Amino acid sequence: MTGVELVDVGVSYGERRVLHGISARVGAGEWLAVLGPNGSGKTTALRAVCGLVDFDGDVIVGTTSIRTMHKRVLARSVALLPQHPTAPVGMRVSTYVLLGRTPHLSYFAQETDKDRAVAERVLDRLGIGALAERDVSSLSGGERQLTMLARALAQEPSILILDEPTSALDIGHQQDVMEVIDDLRRNDGIAVISAMHDLTAASQFAANIVMLSRGHVVASGHVGSVLTEERIKEHFGASVRIVQDGAGVVVIPVRTNGNGSTGAAR
Amino acid sequence: MSRKIFIIAIVLFAATACAAKKTPVAPTPTPSAAAVAYPQQITTSAGLVTIPKKPERIISLSATATQMVFAVGAGRQVVAVDQYSTYPTNAPRTKLSGFQPNIEAITGYRPDLVLIESDQGGLVKSMNALHVPVLVLPAAKDLSGTYDQINELGRVTSHVDGAQRLVSNMRHEIAQIVTSVPKASNLSIYHELDQTYYTATSATFIGQIYKMFGLTDIADKAGLTKNSGYPQLSSEYIVSADPQLIVLADTVCCKQTKASVAARPGWSKIAAVQHDEVIPVDDSLASQWGPRIVDYVRLVAGVVTHAESVYKAT
Amino acid sequence: MTDEAAARVASHRLRARWLVVALAMLALAMAAGMLFGAKSLPPSDVLRSLVGSSSHGKQPLDAVIVRSIRLPRVLLAGLVGGVLALAGAAYQGVFANPLADPYLLGAASGAEVGATIAIAYAPAAWSVNSVPVAAFLGSIAAVAAAVVLGRSVRAGRSTTVLILAGVAIAAFLTAVETYVQQQHQAAIRLIYSFILGRLGTAGWSGLKLVLPYALVAAIVILLHRRHLDVLSLGDDEAASLGIRVARVRLILVAAATLATAAAVAIAGTIAFVGIIVPHTIRLITGGSYRTILPLSIIVGAAFLILADLVARTAVAPAELPIGVITALIGAPFFVVLLRRSRVVAQ
Repeated sequence: MTGVELVDVGVSYGERRVLHGISARVGAGEWLAVLGPNGSGKTTALRAVCGLVDFDGDVIVGTTSIRTMHKRVLARSVALLPQHPTAPVGMRVSTYVLLGRTPHLSYFAQETDKDRAVAERVLDRLGIGALAERDVSSLSGGERQLTMLARALAQEPSILILDEPTSALDIGHQQDVMEVIDDLRRNDGIAVISAMHDLTAASQFAANIVMLSRGHVVASGHVGSVLTEERIKEHFGASVRIVQDGAGVVVIPVRTNGNGSTGAAR
Repeated sequence: MSRKIFIIAIVLFAATACAAKKTPVAPTPTPSAAAVAYPQQITTSAGLVTIPKKPERIISLSATATQMVFAVGAGRQVVAVDQYSTYPTNAPRTKLSGFQPNIEAITGYRPDLVLIESDQGGLVKSMNALHVPVLVLPAAKDLSGTYDQINELGRVTSHVDGAQRLVSNMRHEIAQIVTSVPKASNLSIYHELDQTYYTATSATFIGQIYKMFGLTDIADKAGLTKNSGYPQLSSEYIVSADPQLIVLADTVCCKQTKASVAARPGWSKIAAVQHDEVIPVDDSLASQWGPRIVDYVRLVAGVVTHAESVYKAT
Repeated sequence: MTDEAAARVASHRLRARWLVVALAMLALAMAAGMLFGAKSLPPSDVLRSLVGSSSHGKQPLDAVIVRSIRLPRVLLAGLVGGVLALAGAAYQGVFANPLADPYLLGAASGAEVGATIAIAYAPAAWSVNSVPVAAFLGSIAAVAAAVVLGRSVRAGRSTTVLILAGVAIAAFLTAVETYVQQQHQAAIRLIYSFILGRLGTAGWSGLKLVLPYALVAAIVILLHRRHLDVLSLGDDEAASLGIRVARVRLILVAAATLATAAAVAIAGTIAFVGIIVPHTIRLITGGSYRTILPLSIIVGAAFLILADLVARTAVAPAELPIGVITALIGAPFFVVLLRRSRVVAQ
């Protein structure tokens, strides 16, 4: 398993500069959370790592620059779980997951028993073997997310890129999914980069954080040093209270309706 | 002084010219014909049409009407004919269209009578608003219908005797041609209107021409009088009907030839193709039922005579 | 891996039973197409005509009807139906839209304009055989124009832009076609008969013209069946799986268009086959192109053979334009789709 490094990655959409030379590093078995307000460039940064958007600077997977990699080779190392994945109507879960084997197949090849075995293992591992014959478009939110994750894992990637993996899930499923991913990180040594809105969850699972604002890195490092009340106030415009909780922190939103920090008295 | 005389001379000359022009319009009986009185009232299916005076600026938007008007002797009264009126060759052809009449273009010729085959684009209404009479002359249903139209045009254009002479000539010639040919004993014929096998039954004008010669129309066999006599056949039907004569009236519109017919799947086995009795004719000759129908009758007579000998020999 | 497990992850594979059902449909359709027609012939005669030797000289006309008229027509209807359904399935995959059809980028408009111009302006010396060639070239040119137009836009790799370009080209070509037709009213009859369908007149030569393009297209598209499944995930995800999306899309559009152009040039514009057949197969068998593509070819062939049978027997001896029949089936099909819109909505 390998890690990934962003070296001064910048992205422009036409005239507009969306990302200004950001650098970060995630080693094998590490979890980096990319945080920031809407429009700060999180998704763009993730897409750059996957090679989906033109960028200047460099992205190095292991020891190779992705600029020199064939797209298929890159896809064997980097798997993306986008914010709004497509669930093709009428496609079975098993077929869908098998699509994750695409980077391992040559152009005209069809899937072999080995590929089917990998897909089978992934389904079992995520505990969704029973969903194999279901139509992907008919799944509930939690089931769908796990299915999408299964497809990404079928790629057997070293690096897992997650764009808002839990935003559409209820609190129970959020925990499930995050635990599963953390499990993969610890047991398989997968490097995880996730963009998230949920600051608390991010701090609970990610060891390192990069905070973006308007395309710039405004802070990076350990959870505790990056997530401070002043920083969140400055870049998110939100009032919060931060409480230490074991290895991570808990970010508590504070209502400022003029009646004190808890707003209890009305 | 000389200038004044000059002007007076011009005026006098113009007056004389106008007077001279006026003379034919005066309803004085011409020496040899019945008197043609104006205004004339003609009852048509569209209602009453009034021709106020002898038309001197006729526009014909129907190829058949053009032929008729010229054949009765009223050619000099025609100022414009449509783009498809190719006969007679000395007719004043223009870009006007009988399918999509351009009212402005038509009125540009200052017509006093417009002839058309069917009322398209609200022509009748527009012309009536401008007090220009329009005669709608649909394709005749049979020969007597053609004769009626010719006589009507003769009356309208003040060439009654020309019309009568034309009609009697046509009757005479056709009768002569028909009797000169022995009755074709049950030779079957397929008259093709286009390459999707639209045809004409014996209930149609052209079908009756064939009937005059004793030919059997294969379209009749299936009892087809629907679609006003112009049914569509299929390849299978035609092949199994095995016509002995095939007339191609789609050589111009649809570029059909003897060779293209023989190349159709299965058609090479049809009697007409095997005996080389596939006759290409000009589309308009077969579809414009005016004075030229005599030419068509003559053509059919020649075909039948030849076919008789061919089939008798086999 | 257990058999059960293997079955679970092999659901994209073409199940034997679907293949058998489809082939049976095709066999029945072909039999019906041969047995019925404007001229009613007893089945024994039909059979005898097919297997009997072709003696030179006098051949009973019934045998001529069966061998020279019905047989090539049934085969051509099957070929065109298969091609249109396959092209429709490919387009549906490329554009990730179950309502895409092979005429989306202007293939039909291009063919019609090509035919119109050839008929209206060709000198009398040209035979009627030049028209299919013009239609073929027009069809290809229209789609090529749409692709070039689509790619010239900055964000031009998306399917939406491509579809818009196709709509623009088709609209422009329709205007040109209408203008030329108005200028050459006398040719309208010939032009319309060309557009409405000529399965009955093309014969063996028509079959020979379409076959090579159909084969090439079928091979190329079937080789990319896995790619179509990946494309259904959308551009970003497909790219993240290592697919060169724009290139694969271009290859598939080119192959599908080639076959469509040949089919339209010979058989005229036949609508609905390209939408109905692949979409119905998808609804019944599930969403993998590994299944949809081969079944589309077979069922598309059967469908058009049957539609053509109805077209040439319903008002015998006259014929209905085959587009009327496919539309009569297409309309209720869309109503059914509407009512199942929960499934259709992406």
